[in-house]
Amino acid sequence: MWHGLLALVVLCVCVAPTVYAQELGASSVDFPYTGNRTAVWVVAQLHILFAAFILGAPIFVVISEWLGYRKQDPRYDRMAKEITKVTVILFSMTAVTGGLFIFILLAAYPQFTTWFINQFYVVFAILYPALFIVETILMYAYLYTWDVWKGEKKGRHIALGIVLNLVCLLILFVINGPTSFMNTPPKAEGISPQDFLAAATLWDKVANQSWFPLSLHRIDGNVAFGGFIAGMIAAYMYMGSKTQEERAYYDWMGFVAIWIAVGGSLLQPFTGLLLAYEMCDYDFSFCPYMMADQLSMFFEVQGMMIGLLFLAINYYSWLSVKRIEGAEKVRMTILAPIVLVAVLPVTMWVMNTYWIPDPMSLAFLLPLVLSPFLLGRLVSVTVSARTVIKIGFIVMLISDAVWLTPSGFVATGSDMPDELKLPEGWDYLASMPAKLSAIIVLVFVTVVNYVLYNRTIKQGTILWGKIDFVAQFVLIFLAFISTWIMGLMGAVRSLLKKYFHAYSLVSDFTVESFTPTLSYSAWWITGITVSFLVIVTLAALVALRPSVSKVREPEMNPVPVGVK
Amino acid sequence: MFKKLGIALLVGGAVVTFAHSQEVPSDFQLLWAIFAMIGALVFMLLDAKPLTTMSGGKSFLAVVAFWIFIVTVCIAGASLLPQFDPEDEREKISKLLEKQRAASQQGKADELIARAKALDEQVKALEERLKGLGGSQVATATTTPPAGDKPPAGAGGGGGAAGDVMKVGEEQWQLQECYNCHKLRGEGGKKRGPELDNIGTLLTVEEIQQKIVDPKSFMAEGYDKEWQKGVMPDKFKDLMDPKEMLALATWLGTFKNTSVNTPKPIKKK
Repeated sequence: MWHGLLALVVLCVCVAPTVYAQELGASSVDFPYTGNRTAVWVVAQLHILFAAFILGAPIFVVISEWLGYRKQDPRYDRMAKEITKVTVILFSMTAVTGGLFIFILLAAYPQFTTWFINQFYVVFAILYPALFIVETILMYAYLYTWDVWKGEKKGRHIALGIVLNLVCLLILFVINGPTSFMNTPPKAEGISPQDFLAAATLWDKVANQSWFPLSLHRIDGNVAFGGFIAGMIAAYMYMGSKTQEERAYYDWMGFVAIWIAVGGSLLQPFTGLLLAYEMCDYDFSFCPYMMADQLSMFFEVQGMMIGLLFLAINYYSWLSVKRIEGAEKVRMTILAPIVLVAVLPVTMWVMNTYWIPDPMSLAFLLPLVLSPFLLGRLVSVTVSARTVIKIGFIVMLISDAVWLTPSGFVATGSDMPDELKLPEGWDYLASMPAKLSAIIVLVFVTVVNYVLYNRTIKQGTILWGKIDFVAQFVLIFLAFISTWIMGLMGAVRSLLKKYFHAYSLVSDFTVESFTPTLSYSAWWITGITVSFLVIVTLAALVALRPSVSKVREPEMNPVPVGVK
Repeated sequence: MFKKLGIALLVGGAVVTFAHSQEVPSDFQLLWAIFAMIGALVFMLLDAKPLTTMSGGKSFLAVVAFWIFIVTVCIAGASLLPQFDPEDEREKISKLLEKQRAASQQGKADELIARAKALDEQVKALEERLKGLGGSQVATATTTPPAGDKPPAGAGGGGGAAGDVMKVGEEQWQLQECYNCHKLRGEGGKKRGPELDNIGTLLTVEEIQQKIVDPKSFMAEGYDKEWQKGVMPDKFKDLMDPKEMLALATWLGTFKNTSVNTPKPIKKK
């Protein structure tokens, strides 16, 4: 009898884990040094950076190609082709990191990954691969038909670029479905998330609450990112240029790239705000978690970085103005500096009184910001362009200071001692209306500087290739900071799931299910940024260095831009 | 350069002095003083002499040095700010997921594996005893479970003492992070939700529980916009079991501080 009992016990011991192992699938792999979560984080973020570039660069490229065709300026065409060459190399890096991402995800979180793939089977098994293949074919076709479809056939080539962009956009929207689903899975009042999911269609899952805002944010983000990276490539090529002609071209390329990037960057804060708004609307607990609790200092750093980004953009603009002959003679209406000084306090008052989405705020702000442009001709008193820019810098610094002023310098707002809080009367500086006002002012100053630059080039002569050498470091800085911000905000978006893999649906039972410290995150974000930029630099050198030595027709003589 | 530095020191000093007189905490004074110095740096850069064109190795070294500088700024900037201690959250998450973990397949598997391991130990112990002891002793040994197999204290027990309920209620307040929106005992809250120190006078325990289950059932006076937007999440019924929710409602029901102006709840459903 004892032998029978023992045999039964032994059978249970041996069989039980096997039965459950089959039910659960393979157990997870433990990644050494980094841990599973950080391993997934690093590879996922690298993949997103490459993907952002290969989805954003074609928008940048086709705009550039079209401008070249329209203006009959071969520089645009050359830039577009060069960026396409780099994009093609980075395309393979996107595929490599994408494959690695899936591999690590499956190894680290096999059960969740299986569940997730089941939720989006059609997307992962059919749509995404099919679109990726189509994109690959189009991308290579676009590059290899460049020299074939020129002259009269150029329109055909641009059309191919537009189709490529449409496919890129489609990919972005498709893959943002599962991504945003993890943060805001579909739900309905009074029904448990699990019950709702059981009845949800694929479209319900894809078109979740943060899907569209995330896609919008990523579209303008990708355009900006493509521009900043192109700017960095231009800086390296400028530094490596042997002739004045090459320097003139890469100076021009850096300039155009940055202004395309600025176009995207100006929209970024607003689409980002829309995304945050929708997330908070989905579940209000996201809001304090981001702004007042565990992630509050992440947003402090975000403010710091975006402040630096805008300062650098405008510093580049200043350096660009300085290389224009005759810039010192350019003047602007005195309304411009007056509005620059008034815009921050007025916007703060308006935002406090008529908070979004109250349209009354526009009734005050639009006339204010448009007044220098509409009424400027009526006022005879003028100031020099340089003075306007310098006042703009002071306003930007004050706005940055407002953005960076929190309720208190503590890691979590929930247990903030009174002695560390902003005293009453000052606390409006830490409010959301104040932050939004600071963002609006940063954008406004940048727009004023752009208008000013355009006015300057109409009255002066651009000396391409003669820009202060420090401008190249500004371009590198911009690429670094924009990549870093993407890494930071990527981490924030992912951390918003808190202790869930898919918010409120699949809990993360691992020991790594907690909010990491900002310092730890900063180390990894910096590591990811450096890795990405080193690879991009190498890709640019491989793709573009041979073209530098080729003899080109002179096309960079300093001529008044107004004539062109 | 010195002129700009002087102006920055003057502006920074004025801001710090004024902020100090208004009892603004020193961290903020430091932040604004740093901004004044950044201002000086920006203006020095604006008026700096153009950097001469570098080439070849010099450029490369300058770029590497510049990268090291940016990397240092990014890491140091983030590391100097106050850091959230993950241990605080780990404990909370572990408690929040305890039941789910036990109920999940993984939890069941872990439990079964643990039980199998315990049985394995028992078998080994039995084998040892069978080798050295007689049958009667073996029988005694097998009918008495080893100390490790004793059920955990309190498992299956009533645990209905009032103190325990209060403890569970307060714990749920912390775990569900209600303090992020509601002020209580002078702590937490950012005017996102009403202060609750007098909620026990205005609502019964059942009504508080109803509000947690269905946030639309009551609206705090003056919180019309928040109520309409559904600011209070309706997820808590999925995150707490009925016992925990009752404990939270019971604990909140004890707050009857009439000196605090808790807004009047208006029944909506």
